[in-house]
Amino acid sequence: MIEVKGLSKRFGQLQALNDVSFTVEKGQIVGFLGANGAGKTTTMDILCGCIGADAGSAIIAGHDITEQPIEAKKRLGYLPDVPPLHLEMTVDDFVSYAAKLHQVPINALNTRVNDTLQRLALTDVRHRLVGNLSKGYRQRVALAQAIVHDPEVLVLDEPTEGLDPAQIVQIRELIRSLGGKHTILLSSHILSEVQNTCDRIVIINKGRIVTQGTYDELTRDLSQGKVFRLRVARSVNDALTRLKGLPGIVHARIEDDHGTDAIEFGLEKSASDNAPEDVARAVMDGGFGFRELRQKTKSLEEVFFQVTK
Amino acid sequence: MSAVFTIAKRDIKSYFASPKGGAILFFFLILMGSFFQNFVVSYVEYEQRAAMQGGQAPTLEQLLRAFFYNLNFILVLIVPAVTMASFSEEKRNSSLRLLQTAPVKALEIVLGKFVATAGMMGIVLVAASVYPFYLVLFGNPDSGVIVTSLLGMFLLMCSQLAFGLWVSSMTNNQFMAFLFTMFGLFLLLVLNWLAPTLSGGGSLETVIKYIASTDHLDSFLKGMITVSHVAYFLCFTALFLFLTNVSLDSERWR
Repeated sequence: MIEVKGLSKRFGQLQALNDVSFTVEKGQIVGFLGANGAGKTTTMDILCGCIGADAGSAIIAGHDITEQPIEAKKRLGYLPDVPPLHLEMTVDDFVSYAAKLHQVPINALNTRVNDTLQRLALTDVRHRLVGNLSKGYRQRVALAQAIVHDPEVLVLDEPTEGLDPAQIVQIRELIRSLGGKHTILLSSHILSEVQNTCDRIVIINKGRIVTQGTYDELTRDLSQGKVFRLRVARSVNDALTRLKGLPGIVHARIEDDHGTDAIEFGLEKSASDNAPEDVARAVMDGGFGFRELRQKTKSLEEVFFQVTK
Repeated sequence: MSAVFTIAKRDIKSYFASPKGGAILFFFLILMGSFFQNFVVSYVEYEQRAAMQGGQAPTLEQLLRAFFYNLNFILVLIVPAVTMASFSEEKRNSSLRLLQTAPVKALEIVLGKFVATAGMMGIVLVAASVYPFYLVLFGNPDSGVIVTSLLGMFLLMCSQLAFGLWVSSMTNNQFMAFLFTMFGLFLLLVLNWLAPTLSGGGSLETVIKYIASTDHLDSFLKGMITVSHVAYFLCFTALFLFLTNVSLDSERWR
């Protein structure tokens, strides 16, 4: 549905994008993850035909955005990072205007606008001026503008920016409900959001795609060499020295973020499956007071920091 | 093509959703009204002097011409105020993204903006025709001259609007758009007088004089509709609308 091939873009001295390629299959929700200035917005602007690329192509629902922009844009809804609003219009007028621009047929216009306003819980404010609304409402009006014509492809640049926690949950649910029927590319720097809503994740850093895959794939790939956490009742330092003497144990250290009774250690890939057993036995024999031993799973945060370092 | 009218309708509404449209009309009518009153007073004075001391009495056509020349000057202030926000404001608050990602051609956006500003200036022109209408009501001027003058004024406005839109499409700062448009329109107005000094005579002078709007407008104010002058305004408008289109499209090349 969305196919990005070898996009490059340079702003003066700054290489904003460098050979960016990824695809989003029909009905998928893909999270586009990156730090500020990583190139998320630039990619999305190119994808939606607002700015041109130096090299590469972007295809939306089978139509190249530079070759057949009108056909591609008919199938596209875009929520830019700065909401594109006319502050002097009422919510109703603005959403109808967006619908007309996107060629929603006149006889379906009212139903489409009403549905959209209802979906985004904007019905109460429909007669108020956009400029008098709070940031959270404005963000939802901007989202209404993107989905009012029921596009096949949705590109959302930080859709939950500026919303309160309850609204964030609402919008996430909305996005999830749109998935399946719509193809969604969603950018964010909030990792838990992407982890919860998206089928696949693309991570971009300094204009390059660093990794992509499902959440499970990403965390699995990066946790080669498992990491364990051990808690003991007493003499943590002695336990640590003892642990360091065991075969296959690497990077053993006192965990600094949870008191001082926990030790974090890694296992070499070549270590035998019995290694945890050896560790447990060593703790028991040493009389350190065995409390807990468990394998740590990597969060998306850790994956993110590891690949964008 | 319906996109042109969707955009135009929204823009015209937005002039009156903010104090802007009202303010433009307010200042315009105050200025025009006070000048008109002034002209009428001097017209009556000259008429009385001619009656007492003999000599040529002024005609209503002369009064009309003075009025329209005056309008020509005031447009240099009004047109930039109408066009300045057209693109620059949309660029500044990023609402241009809405148009850029909708299935709408750049040319349709340009034409939509042009129709909107022309509509706004049309309202201004209708308001301004109150004064010639008074003359028809209380005197008997040549109404043909009024019609050709209004037509000439409208064509002049269109060319000025196209120029203003082009300037507005190149900046995201309304004030800069206003300033440069005003400067450009003023230059077009006075180019006629500057031509001899700029060119030192010869064919260059003719070319510069041709570019200036003054001579072209003159024939309309004299009651003539000349194809070549109509063509001048239409070409001028088309050229700058084309340049606006290029400037808008160029965002995708850079």
